[in-house]
Amino acid sequence: MRGVLTLGLVVAAGYALACGPRDTTTRLTFSGSALGPEGDVVRRQLARFAERRPGVRVELQVTPDSADQRHQLYVQWLNARAQAPDILQLDVIWMSEFAAAGWILPLDAFKPGVEDFLPAALAAARWKGALYGIPWFVDVGLLYWRTDLLDRAPRSLVELREMALRLREANATRFGMVWTGARYEGLVTVFLEHLAAFGGGILDPSGRVIVDDPAAIRALDFMANAVNVDRVVPPAALTWQEEQVRFAFQNGDAVFMRNWPYAWTLLQDESRSRVARRVAVAPFPAGEGGRPAAALGGAQLAINARSANPALAFELVSFLTAPEQMVERARLAAQLPPRRSLYETAELAAALPIPLDQVRQVLEAAVPRPATPVYSELSEILQVRIHRALTGQQLPAAALQDAAREMRALLARAGLSPEGPAQ
Amino acid sequence: MNRGPAPIERDETRLAWLLVAPALGIILLVALAPIAVTGWESLHVHDLRLPWLGTPFIGAGNFVEAAGDPRFGAALLHTVAFALISVPLELVLGLALAVMMHSVVRGRAFIRVSALLPWAIPTVVAALLWRFMFEARTGILAGWFQALGLVGPAFDWFVHPLAAWVPIIAADVWKTTPFVAILLLAGLETIDPALGEAAQVDGAKPARAFLTITLPLLTPALVVAAAFRMLDALRLFDLAYVITGGGPGTATEPLSLYAFIALMQRLRFGYGSALSVTVFLLTFVFALVWVRALGRSLTGDRS
Repeated sequence: MRGVLTLGLVVAAGYALACGPRDTTTRLTFSGSALGPEGDVVRRQLARFAERRPGVRVELQVTPDSADQRHQLYVQWLNARAQAPDILQLDVIWMSEFAAAGWILPLDAFKPGVEDFLPAALAAARWKGALYGIPWFVDVGLLYWRTDLLDRAPRSLVELREMALRLREANATRFGMVWTGARYEGLVTVFLEHLAAFGGGILDPSGRVIVDDPAAIRALDFMANAVNVDRVVPPAALTWQEEQVRFAFQNGDAVFMRNWPYAWTLLQDESRSRVARRVAVAPFPAGEGGRPAAALGGAQLAINARSANPALAFELVSFLTAPEQMVERARLAAQLPPRRSLYETAELAAALPIPLDQVRQVLEAAVPRPATPVYSELSEILQVRIHRALTGQQLPAAALQDAAREMRALLARAGLSPEGPAQ
Repeated sequence: MNRGPAPIERDETRLAWLLVAPALGIILLVALAPIAVTGWESLHVHDLRLPWLGTPFIGAGNFVEAAGDPRFGAALLHTVAFALISVPLELVLGLALAVMMHSVVRGRAFIRVSALLPWAIPTVVAALLWRFMFEARTGILAGWFQALGLVGPAFDWFVHPLAAWVPIIAADVWKTTPFVAILLLAGLETIDPALGEAAQVDGAKPARAFLTITLPLLTPALVVAAAFRMLDALRLFDLAYVITGGGPGTATEPLSLYAFIALMQRLRFGYGSALSVTVFLLTFVFALVWVRALGRSLTGDRS
């Protein structure tokens, strides 16, 4: 019922906008995160754009900061064919969904220059060969490690396990390693890094489900062993999200932590953190048959397919994704720019709190999550099955076989099976 | 013409319908229309994330899918098991509490009000309290269980598929026992004290008097309390949502929570509506059977 109500309101608002009195100014609506430092940066940059373009008024439409809630709101607006917002901040994992639904514009007609962008970020912006978004900032999974306990980052998964076991047994720390093991998207990003480390994946390039392949089973076996056999990961981590994981690491309870870049600044705060100045980051190391990996997250800017001013909207997107704005965003909100050339500059090195050489190494290992319109559902299936395996309700192999069966059924229902009729 | 009621009577009937019509209209609009809309929705494919599928009518397709969905089967089992475990606990404890409150002579009002406190606390707040008490390392109760040696040092209540039910059931029992107690207390007050005195004069021990006099006379109140509690328990949502989120895996996921996930997270309005309809049918069928089987026999006994 709430959904229907919201839809009604949005439609009404849409009509009010369309039929209101006309004036000479063109109005653009931008919607995205507007909390804290992120909000400051956006407001500042939108104002600067408006200054450059007299006659254009840019409005910031604030959306909930929780990704799920923002997603739900966007889906309701776009389903109701609302013209506003013109520009949407989309999470990388929503791109294919919005593109396949026809809710956002392909941008190739505007001839965007994208050579400089990280390939993994661009891959997430493409659907069926067309480009639907411009990467705005990226988030990558980082392996934080303690420089006071170790001389260097582990070079392989075997080494990571040995280091964690040895230090935990020597009582240097309570736990060896902490990661986000609660049943939510964060668990899938941890799994994705283990998968890549063992050379596995969730979907292959043709869209076929491969999450029950031997490599994937080895990856989940490794995770389950870490919790239930080696006990390097505490069982409580299976209820933890980013913040609980950070607290444990910040209290000096772990040798390794898998988390996002946001934690860096907080860990360096000596009044709260016991590990300040004793932390470095690296990509998640490779296991047998795989490669170092860092799950890619972040946001992209896309244009509403029903926008009244798509060309102007693209102009704003280009402005916001220009190097100058990205460096400012890195400085004020500590968010990583997706432009590769910036990582060679002193400006970015000065703007970012994390040492640039460490970040660059991680970005090279970035792995995107599968680009499919049904990513959220695929992820939910995985979350439940992985969590069942880690809490000992199912063996890893059986859990992944069930997950794969459910995913294939979902793809078939959605008309997206690579084997079945094309959508 | 002649067989119908007299004209005046007919006019009165018409007037009665006219007077009742606004109320009936509101009931239709508020109570029946949403159920009807949900029922209609449940017969369609309606997936906000897959707009290219359209919204075709598929009859019982969603219900067939639910029947073959192991997560649905598990959720149904969880819901029924939760109701069958927590409601009897609440009835027994509620009865004990009611008898105690009934026998208290001094400070009655104070004791009754304070006994009702848990019932007055919002469910979400109560759920959070119980969640915190069972949290590993920081929870009071989790600490006690550990100190007593009942669980190991690394034990986490929310990671074990059966142990995760303990905080949910404890919270439900804690919160709703006072409600049951008040209902039963009202029942106790209607029992003629002369009956108890007569039993005492005849030399019956208190236990005997309770079992043969109080309990049978209290049955109507017990039946009503059980009906209220079962209907509530079969719709379990908030406690599971706040305390465990349905986890670990989906080990504590009740039907209402699964329906919520299908509707609000997956945005599958058709399938989610079908799940909601099954929750509605489950409680409706229970209410029907319960009222027919017990309600009728009780009124029959009395007359």
